[in-house]
Amino acid sequence: MDVSNILASHAAKYPSTVVEKDTPLVLDPGYLTVTDLNPIDEDSYKANLEEYLQSTARDGIQALLASLFALPTHPSPDGPLAQLPPPITALPRAKPLPKPKQPTKWERFAAAKGIQKKVREKKVWDEERQEWVNRWGRDGKNKEKEEQWITEVKANADVDFDPVKAARDERKSRVAKNERQRLQNAARSQTAHADREERKKDIEKTLAATRVSTASMGKFDKKLEGEKKLRGVKRKFEPTEISITKEKEASLAILSKLDGETRRSKREKGEDDTLNVRKAIRTASRGRGGVALGRESSGRGRGGKRGGKR
Amino acid sequence: MLRTVKPKNARVKRAMDAREPKETEDARTAIFVRGTHTGEVVNGVMKELMALKRPNAISFSKKNVIRPFEDASSLEFWSQKNDASMFLVGQTTKKRPAGLVIARTFDSKILDMCELGVDQFVSMAEFKTSKSTPGHKPMMHFASELFDTHPRFIQLKSLLMDFFNGEEVDSICMPGLEHVISISLAPAPALQTAAPESTQDDSKNLPKVHLRSYTIKLLPSGTRVPRVELVEMGPFIDFSLRRCQAADSEMWKAAMRRPKLKKQDVEKGVGKKRKNMEVDEMGDLRGRVHIAKQDLGKLQTRKMKGLKPALGEGVEGGDESEGEDDSSRRTKRRRD
Repeated sequence: MDVSNILASHAAKYPSTVVEKDTPLVLDPGYLTVTDLNPIDEDSYKANLEEYLQSTARDGIQALLASLFALPTHPSPDGPLAQLPPPITALPRAKPLPKPKQPTKWERFAAAKGIQKKVREKKVWDEERQEWVNRWGRDGKNKEKEEQWITEVKANADVDFDPVKAARDERKSRVAKNERQRLQNAARSQTAHADREERKKDIEKTLAATRVSTASMGKFDKKLEGEKKLRGVKRKFEPTEISITKEKEASLAILSKLDGETRRSKREKGEDDTLNVRKAIRTASRGRGGVALGRESSGRGRGGKRGGKR
Repeated sequence: MLRTVKPKNARVKRAMDAREPKETEDARTAIFVRGTHTGEVVNGVMKELMALKRPNAISFSKKNVIRPFEDASSLEFWSQKNDASMFLVGQTTKKRPAGLVIARTFDSKILDMCELGVDQFVSMAEFKTSKSTPGHKPMMHFASELFDTHPRFIQLKSLLMDFFNGEEVDSICMPGLEHVISISLAPAPALQTAAPESTQDDSKNLPKVHLRSYTIKLLPSGTRVPRVELVEMGPFIDFSLRRCQAADSEMWKAAMRRPKLKKQDVEKGVGKKRKNMEVDEMGDLRGRVHIAKQDLGKLQTRKMKGLKPALGEGVEGGDESEGEDDSSRRTKRRRD
């Protein structure tokens, strides 16, 4: 069956929706944007500017709409909602990324123990009044003990024991404790990050040191999974040619350092290094130190006696 | 620098929380600022652009002594005060007639700026056609190869996209697509195609920018995708590029940081290129499977008597295939 004339008549009835370009159009449906990277046709640009601009824009938008109509849709009262893919073009943010919130002490504990968070309802059922009442706040259930008109008191209670005041103090102390914990959490979350970074750096440094602390400098160590390659300090070389003034400065710096070193070592060792004073004292005092030697030389008799004993 | 305010009541706290950084950001709010002198043209351009940008636009109706390229501290202050991250500063001077500076901020600090000179402007009112509804998202069309190669035009594209369309949305109402903003360039001189190093020198011979806005008309096409026709809506603006300030690389890097993908999204395949899968015209998901390369050495070819292993060897044990291999090798050698 020949359908070419049917197709032709159909094509004549409706304008085409196909766009063909030398360079394919760059579509970004996420931002509803189309970029036409074909160079501008100079002749038609000069001949009729407005018509040319409109026709290129039409082609681009036709291609964009085709891609939008191909997206999955959801019905809505105003018409179909097209589900847009995430955009391709990267645009800069207006504000930095939000910082992750530090977990509170309880949240950390709960995570470690695997305790699920459950939302406490604000209202509780009151059996006596047969209605829902606030757990706290105005006419709260937590103030029940303070507001009841009669309270049972133990027989051995103090004479001036006030059950209402005791209940109220207990409730107030719970509130105060909560507030204290909140402030502690806030303080912890402020310092935690910097501390953790420092600790992390410390651990990394220690780990790096231990990894090269075997006889083979860690060459034959067992590699753990996910272990990163150890990065040493990269050597940097000065350029071979530098200006004469810089070179002079560098040389003088070395010379002055050498000079300083000799002087410092002389001061430390004393003028004459033929005699090692510390070693001499140790030998003379038979390992008991300079103080003992002094005592010995002042009280010769006693020292002699002791020597005799030995 | 504004003083930091501690919220005293819930309403203030909500308002302050709304200003906190978010993972997916809202559209940028633009502030329209007039310089010491704005001519009729600049006033008109700003008014029309504001009409397109609404409702994310704030107009400063008074004149301000401001030179964004020399001292941007006022812009930074306004940005923080109004929670806005984009500026359109209009100013006319003798040296730079009808100038328009588009500036963008990151964390209330100026990120980058671009100055445009208005060469020709035709207002919306001149076109006696129906206009788009305020607040609807426009579609954008950029035409020229320079938007991919030339740093000035890459920046311009980024700025204009951020200005008109910078909001990430996950769905859009199809009947709400009403208008198009088309930005095209004049034909580029030959030297422009290769990205030149010195962007300051050649600002004289950069091609002109044509900004046009159209409303769309959808005609039946016999297929699912309708045929699009455009009707000019205005504004109609011809720009020429003037000064620019590129973003500081450190700041740009900070501004381009993306949030980590959630585990759920990663599993769904968002953010990853879905390889070897495509949806065909019928809407079916089609996959392509790659299997390992076939070992042609083990292919069973025609059996011939001459190629059979010799009687004594290749039969012992389970190593039949190996024996066969050996023998075939041997036969080859024999043939050589």
